[in-house]
Amino acid sequence: MIDFFEVIKRALTGPYYSEQDFTLKVLVPKLRAIIKKYGIIYDSATPVPSNDQLADDVFRAGVELCAEVGCYCKDTSRVIRFTTDEILEALRDAPSQPFFGEGSDRKAMFARKPESSDPPYCYVGAGGSVVTSEDVFVRLVEGYGRNPLSDSITCPTLTKINGMEIVASSPLELLACIRAVELGRAALRRAQRPGLPIMNSIATGVTATGKIGGSAFGLRNSDCWVVGFTSPLKVQFGRMNEVAYIIARGAQLVGEAGEPMGGFAGGPEGIAVISIVYHILSILVLRSSVHLTFPMDIRYGCNTSWEIMWPISVAAQAMSRNSHHPILNLAYTAAGPMTEMCLYEIAVAMINFVASGGNIEFGGVAKGTSPDRMSPLEPRFATEVAHAAAGLSRAQANEIITTLIPKYKDRLASPPKGATFQECFDWVSIQPCQEYIELYGQIKDELVGYGLKFK
Amino acid sequence: MTNKSDLLAEFQLAIIEGDAERAKGAAQKCLDNGITPIEAVEVGMRDGLRIVGEKFEKLELYLPDMILAAEAGNEAMKVLEPAIAASDQRATPPGIVIIGAAKGDIHTIGKNILTMMLKLTGFIVQDLGEDVSATTFLEQARKLNADIIAISSLMTSTMPSQREVINLLNDIHERDKFKVIVGGAPVTQQWADQIGADGYAETAAGGVTLALKLVA
Repeated sequence: MIDFFEVIKRALTGPYYSEQDFTLKVLVPKLRAIIKKYGIIYDSATPVPSNDQLADDVFRAGVELCAEVGCYCKDTSRVIRFTTDEILEALRDAPSQPFFGEGSDRKAMFARKPESSDPPYCYVGAGGSVVTSEDVFVRLVEGYGRNPLSDSITCPTLTKINGMEIVASSPLELLACIRAVELGRAALRRAQRPGLPIMNSIATGVTATGKIGGSAFGLRNSDCWVVGFTSPLKVQFGRMNEVAYIIARGAQLVGEAGEPMGGFAGGPEGIAVISIVYHILSILVLRSSVHLTFPMDIRYGCNTSWEIMWPISVAAQAMSRNSHHPILNLAYTAAGPMTEMCLYEIAVAMINFVASGGNIEFGGVAKGTSPDRMSPLEPRFATEVAHAAAGLSRAQANEIITTLIPKYKDRLASPPKGATFQECFDWVSIQPCQEYIELYGQIKDELVGYGLKFK
Repeated sequence: MTNKSDLLAEFQLAIIEGDAERAKGAAQKCLDNGITPIEAVEVGMRDGLRIVGEKFEKLELYLPDMILAAEAGNEAMKVLEPAIAASDQRATPPGIVIIGAAKGDIHTIGKNILTMMLKLTGFIVQDLGEDVSATTFLEQARKLNADIIAISSLMTSTMPSQREVINLLNDIHERDKFKVIVGGAPVTQQWADQIGADGYAETAAGGVTLALKLVA
């Protein structure tokens, strides 16, 4: 695979385009033409298709689009281009089973296949959602660590440090990044899981300075950093600086992309194809060990709608059938904790991810934007469903999903906010309240009725 | 003779389909057949653009389609504007909006969608892009004599930058010159109230309704 210096060189010397021309005159027409060329058509009746030919066509379309379009560097207005041979070489040389964590919590993440009975790698926690205080941060992370099915942790985002509101790019951001690492490590020690990897590096950080500076205060090479693209198919030097730092310290990173459905990539077909391009660019540009994907439904700010299932499933099938580079699928629910809708949304997302060949990240509750509106029970439920879904056929997954989504689809535009962590959990014992335990049990029983076998 | 409503319908369709050349031709045909330029703008163009916005909300059209429709509208205006100037009538835009992502924020999709929808509604919009400082918002708002400053934040850590704009306007005694509206995934009405913004909307369509209300 071409090295990172070559990627930097291309970011500095590749063909020049204005940002608008790259998007509207290169990406959009080429994407639409390739969808047509490969005959990729969204099937609204089958959110989880069992069509290997479709998956492989989407993969080939993604490879072709990647070679034709490349990745736009916002700082230089240059396009980082790769040939088809370089893309295929990168897919061949990409990492296949990176290890994360230490001691008894050291574990490899594998690339699963559609319908595989291998349990998914479970990366769980807050998905970067925001908390109002350092206390909430610590108790949540301890709660995530206590889940025996947690393989790695995604910490929340601090909004205050020492009671002061964090301002991006100010010294408070750097100090908060340092604090977030210290708190995360301490919380996992409290959970008796000191080796559990923190995989989202520092959600509190916006800038490379914050993330790199904060890393020096307790992140390990056995943890993982998350570095993302900007929509559509763009990268910034700030993110590439993080990549340079992570490579130099011998650590690993998750490349991430969350293309909005309805945006420049268009509808379900466009999201499926562009997801493949992001995954390839994640290997080449971000040098990722794992790729994390979370296409979002632009209408609802979540990815549990009927229409978004198809591109998520097809893209996961396409990559997992044609590559050994692991995929993580991340879910954002519309509804908040301790609501029936939230648990249905989680079940739908996990069943889709796992049957389609993905590993799971969970996740963003209540769209991941409402302070403290998350608890350790949603990721716990997610991991249990994800393990129970391993081995389901895509047809079985499709049947369950098409039964569950109608239970909440009319509420996606105005979802119930649910409870905050403080409202649905006992603060001292970090245990869910009785009402939440009963709701959780009731939904699990219902899922057993649909054929899920909880261990 | 071609029916007036057919001509306006053809103009509208060209806008909806984002075909700039056809939109220009259709606008010219409207004028040639005695349709006033104002009527062409109001019925042919703005209604066409409104339909595009509605279809986007239902995911029947996507962001690039909105951009192409707006560009078709701009091209058609090149034909209609001289005719408007030559007549006694004027097509008054609803207002002028300065929009940008707050200092520290590099996420632009939501802001871009609101920008397009405001343009489709007839607003004059100056998009300052991402990572925009309070002083840049102020300078541009002064320069264009804007009605509204719209600030988006996708990250909680950039929300305080929205407040900085309002604080700056207060500090220099220019708060009453501009309406300030805020949005973005983590932003809420409660936050808007807390920082003294004039409004908040959860969606781009809501942002347009809010902007129209504020300039009414």
